[in-house]
Amino acid sequence: MSIKEFVKFDKVDKSYDGEVLVVKNLNLDISKGEFLTMLGPSGSGKTTCLMMLAGFETPTNGEIYLEGQPISNIPPNKRGIGMVFQNYALFPHMTVKENLMFPLEVRKVEANEIEKKVKTALDMVELGEFGNRMPLQLSGGQQQRVALARALVFEPRLVLMDEPLGALDKNLREQMQYEIKHIHENIGITVVYVTHDQSEALTMSNRIAVFNEGKIQQISSPDVLYEKPNSSFVAQFIGENNQLNGKVTSINGETCVVETDTGENINALKININKVGDNSLISLRPERVYINSKEKFDNNFDAVVKELIYLGDHIRTRLEICGNDQFIVKVPNSHIGLKLSEGSSVKLSWKTEDSRALEAR
Amino acid sequence: MIKKIKIAFFSLLSLAVVSSAYADLTFVSWGGAYTAAQQKGYINNWSGKVNVENYNGGLGEVKAQVESGNVTWDVVDILPDQGVTGCDEGLFVKLDQSEFIDDMIAGPVSECVAPQIFWAYTAFYSKSAFPGKKPKTIKDFFDVKKFPGKRAIHTWANATIEMALVADGVKKKDVYKVMSTQEGIDRAFAKLDTIKDHVIFWSAGAKPLEMISSGEAVMALAYNGRIGAAILTDGKDFDYIWDATVLEQEYLAIPRGSKNEAEARKFVAYASSPESLAGVTKHITYAPMRKSALKVVQKGEPWFHNGVDVLPHVPTSKKIIKKAIIADPMWWADNGAEVSERFGAWKGN
Amino acid sequence: MSEITNSGILTTDGIPLKESLKKAERKNKIRALLLVAPLLLFIFFTFVMPIGSMLTRSTDDSYINNVFPKTFKVYQKWDRVGLPSEEIYATMFLEVKQASGFEIGKASTRMNYAKSGWKSMIKKSKRKFKKISENDGPFKDKMIEVDKKWGDPEYWLALGVMVDPTTYEYYLNSFDKKYDSEKNIIDQPEERRIYTKTWIKTFKVSILVTFFCLMLGYPISYLLATLPLKYSNLLMICVLLPFWTSLLVRIVVWMVILQQKGVFNNFMVISGLIADENRWQLMYNQTGTIIVMTQILLPFMVLPLYSVMKTISPNYMRAALNLGASPLHAFWKIYMPNSVPGISAGGMLVFVIAIGYFITPELVGGKDGQMIGNWIGYHLKTTLNWGLSAALGGILLVIMTVLYWIYNKLVGIENIKLG
Repeated sequence: MSIKEFVKFDKVDKSYDGEVLVVKNLNLDISKGEFLTMLGPSGSGKTTCLMMLAGFETPTNGEIYLEGQPISNIPPNKRGIGMVFQNYALFPHMTVKENLMFPLEVRKVEANEIEKKVKTALDMVELGEFGNRMPLQLSGGQQQRVALARALVFEPRLVLMDEPLGALDKNLREQMQYEIKHIHENIGITVVYVTHDQSEALTMSNRIAVFNEGKIQQISSPDVLYEKPNSSFVAQFIGENNQLNGKVTSINGETCVVETDTGENINALKININKVGDNSLISLRPERVYINSKEKFDNNFDAVVKELIYLGDHIRTRLEICGNDQFIVKVPNSHIGLKLSEGSSVKLSWKTEDSRALEAR
Repeated sequence: MIKKIKIAFFSLLSLAVVSSAYADLTFVSWGGAYTAAQQKGYINNWSGKVNVENYNGGLGEVKAQVESGNVTWDVVDILPDQGVTGCDEGLFVKLDQSEFIDDMIAGPVSECVAPQIFWAYTAFYSKSAFPGKKPKTIKDFFDVKKFPGKRAIHTWANATIEMALVADGVKKKDVYKVMSTQEGIDRAFAKLDTIKDHVIFWSAGAKPLEMISSGEAVMALAYNGRIGAAILTDGKDFDYIWDATVLEQEYLAIPRGSKNEAEARKFVAYASSPESLAGVTKHITYAPMRKSALKVVQKGEPWFHNGVDVLPHVPTSKKIIKKAIIADPMWWADNGAEVSERFGAWKGN
Repeated sequence: MSEITNSGILTTDGIPLKESLKKAERKNKIRALLLVAPLLLFIFFTFVMPIGSMLTRSTDDSYINNVFPKTFKVYQKWDRVGLPSEEIYATMFLEVKQASGFEIGKASTRMNYAKSGWKSMIKKSKRKFKKISENDGPFKDKMIEVDKKWGDPEYWLALGVMVDPTTYEYYLNSFDKKYDSEKNIIDQPEERRIYTKTWIKTFKVSILVTFFCLMLGYPISYLLATLPLKYSNLLMICVLLPFWTSLLVRIVVWMVILQQKGVFNNFMVISGLIADENRWQLMYNQTGTIIVMTQILLPFMVLPLYSVMKTISPNYMRAALNLGASPLHAFWKIYMPNSVPGISAGGMLVFVIAIGYFITPELVGGKDGQMIGNWIGYHLKTTLNWGLSAALGGILLVIMTVLYWIYNKLVGIENIKLG
């Protein structure tokens, strides 16, 4: 076993009813110490993968390996995998401390050892004084941290997290994202994290596997995923994204030219289009578009401001360009800021390498 | 317009008054084949309308109705000790008994009751259970050596005490004299002890017949009307042990405060006429309490509704009544509770 | 500042805040009261009043004291040795003679509870005393001539227990005790001691029925709560089906199955598990009562259990497994404690219903399966001894209340969940 194949999904299929495959031919390697996020819309198969890994579901075909060993025949309680559940699944009839002691007690750890480990774990999540509370007396964020501590206290080989922050409000969620990230960095444990929230995935992960319809669409590090989506699904799912429709008119090595429905020619990177004449969808991040820039760009088009939304740190500007009136540009609210008004004409420009020509779906 | 409404209102009102004058009688009885026989025997021929309701016996409901002043029952079919207690406590009204008082085989137990029928606790068996010698007397019923097998008896004490004493050699006419002493009761229970391990208990009247049919028991005590129906209409091969059969009286009474008392009195007179009583016997083998009604049956033989002679099944007919004991309701009114508790203790131990 | 602290906080208009609040809330309170009023009235008239009146009957002995006030007065002077004096006889004679028929009838029913035989004696005397003139004393011998029981000191002694308008005799009777003529508490004669045994039996049967209901109901409820909806609905119907069939039909079916020549015994004999002559007695005894009651009361256990289990997230069990517990350990430590509200609700419900049961024991109880409810019914209907019925019922009520109190202390009543 190499360190790269700490967890290995090998040709895994899963079906519940014998008619529909929820997971299709999944191959995935997770390396030791990695924070891997399975990201995707609901029903994309990501939670099923997690459940198979935890042992609550069995693969219909294929095998999952943990440290080189097949685990399909190991019951969940023998796998030594920690898990943080959606809604935490803290045992409501036990105190916080008892919840943390539970995995240690079933492992017959010595009493004073248990005491020590529980204390360390509680301190780690900064809940040292809450040991004697009942879970329901804690706030959502505190419960979340207890769940995290409980999943880590018995020092599992691997920790799974199933949308653990879904029930928290936005501020708390962001704070917890950093905490989890820090804990991961501090103890270096391998984490498989499931979420449908792309910003969460981007914040925390070493690598993100984007799921759709039972398949991994793209797996790579957050920046690559964001900057270089290789399918229109990924481009749309991750981050905010402008889309322009058109037909490929010429291909020059790495780049191509796409003519929009209204006749403008856009220079773009050729990602997954095959030939001239194909329909294409150009993906362009809002922050890579410049308004009335004096610099020189490959792509320069006229646009009309349709709407301005004040968002504090930036102004979200909706424009009409190349026949698309949902084109968004984020204008920083800096002191040199542009004075835009609704209905005014502006010039938009961007680089060839920031516009990616993807297959039209 | 208003006039029209007024007319409609007053005609409705007068309708209500008229209909209440001819209000339905509520006749309360035990249900089942017995009440069906009452209906076919005489209720259906009554000129007014009668609502028949069922109850499970006892004076509890009557007492509750009379005490609350909301009496909804007009005529109740009762057992003699209820006739005694109910009359004593003023739950029933007194009746004119001149018509039947000299015509009765026994009773009446109080001034509040009108005769209905005798029914009997009778021992019986299936002929097929005893291919050889057949049980003839109550001694045989209590003799588990000569006639081995389970005996089915009811869960309460009535009749069983009397039968036990007769089986132990007490003369039928002395039964209640013996029962009025502590030693007499002890003697009855001692006799009961001899069959205790061979007894199963029933509390619903249909059960003893099923128990005999299925072979669960070889002999049983049952209501004679049930046995009669099984033999006469179902063609079962049952036979009676008439020896020491215990006759219980059944009466009609009118709760105090009945809203249709006058009508109820007329109905009770009709219901206790010889023809009405004989009419009941046409459909069930319970015995009329009036001698004249028995004559009506005798003349009419084959009297049973399906055209067979009924007298051999009627416990007041000449041959049978000689072997019978007529239960003493006064004794049971006095001692019923005490003996029942003792019987309960005996059963449970 | 000091003004405010003295009179409390004032509203902007200067009215004390509390007063203003009360005024504002009054309308709501009245509305709420009106909304619950029909229910309160209904409960008062159908529940509190009847139970109250029943309980007063359990200690009420005033009727007899109103019929024979003078007799009881002179009776107090009697030394309870031999036969009473002529004075007592004469007073009794006059009061029997003068009382109305109903009064005497009712009184004699009461006297008969204390000693069997009073009823016929009083009845006979009432009839025959008519022929004896009030001025024709002494009465002692004349009365004994009418009924020789007047010459039996036992009957006179039995009067002693009735001299107070309030009595605890019915409660004593409920535990096989009674008063002697001087109101000392003594045991009932051996052969009449039935109630203590019946109480014990009632408890035993109720506890066993509750236990068996739990044993049978728990796995079914678990299955119901965890199966997918389409299967659990079907199973639920199976559980409730017996609920919808008539009680009598069900009991008859059980009789067919359980009697000695019944389906179950036949099967056991045919399969050679028991000998033909050793067929089990499963009916008309305590065993039958327990079997049938368990089946009848099962839904009362399953429904609360199911509704509680439905709320237990399957993630608890998963979490426990994930944390390393074996399935059994996880069930015992995690699932079971979380289902306790259902267990206790179901247990309370079944036990409370079972302890007052009487139809089933009456029909299948036979020789030793009858419970306290059967005796309550017997005295209510047959002997009209409502005082004793009320006492037995009152004790039942006290037992329930005590159980409820203990339960509340141990588990907490807020933990009961019915759905």
